[in-house]
Amino acid sequence: MNTACETTRGHLDAYLSRELPEETRLEVQRHLEICPQCAAELETRARVRTQLQAAVRATPVPVHLEAKIRRAVRRTENAPRPRTGLWAVAAAALVIVCVALVNWLRIESNPEEAILRKTSGRLAVVLNVGLRDHLHCAVFRKYSKQPEAARQMAADLGPGFADLAPLLQAKLTGDFRIVQAHHCDAGGRRYTHFIITGGGKIVSLVLTRRRPNERLTGGIHQAGVDRFQVVGFESHDYLAYVISDLDAQQNLQLAANLAPTVREYLAAHAG
Amino acid sequence: MFSKLPQTGDFEKAALPHLNELYRTAARLLGDGATAEDVVQETYLQAWKSFARFQPGTNCRAWLFKILTNTIHHYRRGWFNLRRVKDSEEILEHTATGAAPIPERMAQQEILRALGRLPSDYRAAVLLADVEEFSYKEIAGLLGVPIGTVMSRLSRGRKLLREQLGELAQSYGIDPDATPDSKPDLTKEGGA
Repeated sequence: MNTACETTRGHLDAYLSRELPEETRLEVQRHLEICPQCAAELETRARVRTQLQAAVRATPVPVHLEAKIRRAVRRTENAPRPRTGLWAVAAAALVIVCVALVNWLRIESNPEEAILRKTSGRLAVVLNVGLRDHLHCAVFRKYSKQPEAARQMAADLGPGFADLAPLLQAKLTGDFRIVQAHHCDAGGRRYTHFIITGGGKIVSLVLTRRRPNERLTGGIHQAGVDRFQVVGFESHDYLAYVISDLDAQQNLQLAANLAPTVREYLAAHAG
Repeated sequence: MFSKLPQTGDFEKAALPHLNELYRTAARLLGDGATAEDVVQETYLQAWKSFARFQPGTNCRAWLFKILTNTIHHYRRGWFNLRRVKDSEEILEHTATGAAPIPERMAQQEILRALGRLPSDYRAAVLLADVEEFSYKEIAGLLGVPIGTVMSRLSRGRKLLREQLGELAQSYGIDPDATPDSKPDLTKEGGA
């Protein structure tokens, strides 16, 4: 471990918390790109943080606490409640029931939302960003099973991403093949989406611009929900996801094969 | 007709969504579920009293956490007596061990135990930064200390926690949902 490593280690936590001045952040980032040991240390620290969050958030909150606080707050209102208050409460209750019913019907009739709903709590919100697009485009929307012609794919992707498809294809093993690539919009954001099939499985590589509050720092994150496996990582200004119905190990391996290409491509085209 | 009710309604709508985070932070800081419950209730009563001065559109979550840290501070100094004195640590222990799969749950218990062993000043800083994701500047405001103090507490707290978890972090997967034996390191191939 040299001086550069020692300096970097001193900054890693602040780097994860996005508290470094821009110049220092870039220095750390540059070092991480060339130093696997420090990159691994960053991943360990990110992992500890994720696990700490999960552990604290698993603390059960007493079910009666909210009602108890509502009662306590309302008790401090000294003035007697107007009689109409009861009607207001009844009316509000009716509205709540109706809204809940409508939401429930809407969710139940939409399998995409039903699966996304199951993921809450289990899957970090930021991993859900990628899953949403996979469900939206690759699972619940019909697309042609015939692979798109390379020219069509390049046209759909536009100049920004056209060259990425052949680079990715070169990294795919077995009979995995990119069958579609396009930009799409779902859940209020824009995605670049590569649909890959092989061995009867559907895999999505999804790229979307990272929003300021979204983080997938510290290497690779993984979660499973329903029959889907999601791997997510951050690359430059993007969040990248590999989602599939492969098993966890296979999905992770596929993501590991594609990640360096994605990172290099985004690095070269960043800015 | 909504002469009295709307204000409590507004307050509840703005403040109650943060109940879980406040309770969990209090439980970890105080190490006792029943005390945490009382402190959180007191926090909400204090918040409700000053709700008229709260500016809608400002950060309600930070405002509530500020009241929570004050309330905990007052509680520790014995400035107010909580109604309940019974030590119910075992209640928290009991409810915390739900029906989830054992390995994951055990890891979480280990992490919480390690967190509980940190000195309370360090623990507060680590919880607010790494779990609740407040900025260093916000934490300085919440705890009423200079930002340099926040940074040194964080640095020591995180180091202590890492040391205690050293073994554990290696032996469990990349997150609680992951399989333990599958960790290809993407960063290593990045510069190729």
